Amino acid sequence: MRILVIRAPPHPAALILLGLVLSGPLRAQTLSGVVTAPSGAVVPNAKVSLKRITDGLTTETRTNSTGSYKVADLMPGDYELTVTAEGYSPSTVTVTMVAGVNQSTDVQVRPPLSLEDLGFSAAQTQGSAEEQARLDKRSHMLKVHQRLGLLTTIPLAATVITGTFAGGRATQSTTRDVHAVLGTLTAGLYFTSASFAIFAPKIPGTRVHGPIRLHKALAWIHGPGMILTPVLGAMAYAQRSRGERVHGIASAHSVVAVVTAAAYGASILSVSVKF
Amino acid sequence: MTFLLLSVLTLTQTPSRWVLDSSTVRYHVSHPLHQVDGVSHGARGKGVCQARGCEFLIAVPIRSFDSGDSNRDLHMLQTVRGGQFPIVTVRTQLPEGAQLSDSVYADLEIEFAGQTAHYARVPFHVVMNGNEARVSGTIPATIADFKIDPPSLLTIPIKNDIPVYVESTWHREK
Repeated sequence: MRILVIRAPPHPAALILLGLVLSGPLRAQTLSGVVTAPSGAVVPNAKVSLKRITDGLTTETRTNSTGSYKVADLMPGDYELTVTAEGYSPSTVTVTMVAGVNQSTDVQVRPPLSLEDLGFSAAQTQGSAEEQARLDKRSHMLKVHQRLGLLTTIPLAATVITGTFAGGRATQSTTRDVHAVLGTLTAGLYFTSASFAIFAPKIPGTRVHGPIRLHKALAWIHGPGMILTPVLGAMAYAQRSRGERVHGIASAHSVVAVVTAAAYGASILSVSVKF
Repeated sequence: MTFLLLSVLTLTQTPSRWVLDSSTVRYHVSHPLHQVDGVSHGARGKGVCQARGCEFLIAVPIRSFDSGDSNRDLHMLQTVRGGQFPIVTVRTQLPEGAQLSDSVYADLEIEFAGQTAHYARVPFHVVMNGNEARVSGTIPATIADFKIDPPSLLTIPIKNDIPVYVESTWHREK
């Protein structure tokens, strides 16, 4: 048997071709894998970023409908593989590409920490438009209460001042009338203001504390006082209109009025001045 | 210093979880006639550290803030739309190798009053002690960040800045 041996230098084109064949697997490695959720479900359309650690060169792709990704033409080296998907926390792993070896790296993404993870119940975390509406209504009514309450101080002061001239024996009926009209206006504004506080929505689970406690406690003085003062005032007015001296329970009118006015003033100060 | 650097390594070591043990969260409201501080000790928080960093979530029920006046607290609750959004949450991610020595700079995502605001590189002071970390700092929040109508007293609105001071103690779970 004869063997034909050709001794000739290799053709340059053959060398280039050989080089390409040999170097191909070294340069064109592929990284692939599947992105899944903790439930095992695949995660489509997740962004997959592959950053070469040595120089920061980054390649990006996305998972397909089966959650798979593939990045080709990778040089050997260390890479940072980061997967981000809507509704999940970013997940990063380190991948080392070895010359001539294609790799498969599956990545599991997990949901971000949630309020449930912190032990909050759904009832604690879910607000409601109704609850907000109740708070809005409460604030609105208390603002009206506050403004009317401040407005009430004007006729209240005027009533107290005119009252000092309305009780004497020589007092003209006009003075008493002015005092009575101002008193009626004061009572009207007062009860209108009070109704906004009384009927403002209550917020369950609220522990009342702070200056508002004093404010509410004082209402137990000026509230009954605002009822009693006009009643006693009407009795005193009738007695004076008959030419009598104010006597009996009606003679307590001025004292009750002053105590009521003082309690009312203190009530306003209790929520206006920081003690 | 060596101890602190070791602490840095252990904080981001994988896998580990951090749980908030105790906290004080205090907001400050300024008005020409009033200075108000509201304090909450009702925050809950967790952190999960994986290979490349840590994710933290802290949540505070808005109703847990106490300014010393329940009427004012309810008004605050209404103003910040707390009926509809009863929890304020703070999220942050610390990348691998975050320098958790004396100070750490955290990018915060805060959900409050139905709005989300981002605060970049908020400095926090960190003291590590074994598996315990004490973290404190001030978040430079403003009411405009959360589209809150500023409440007013005698027609004068409160200042826009409502700095929130946070002091927290965490422990690590394996």
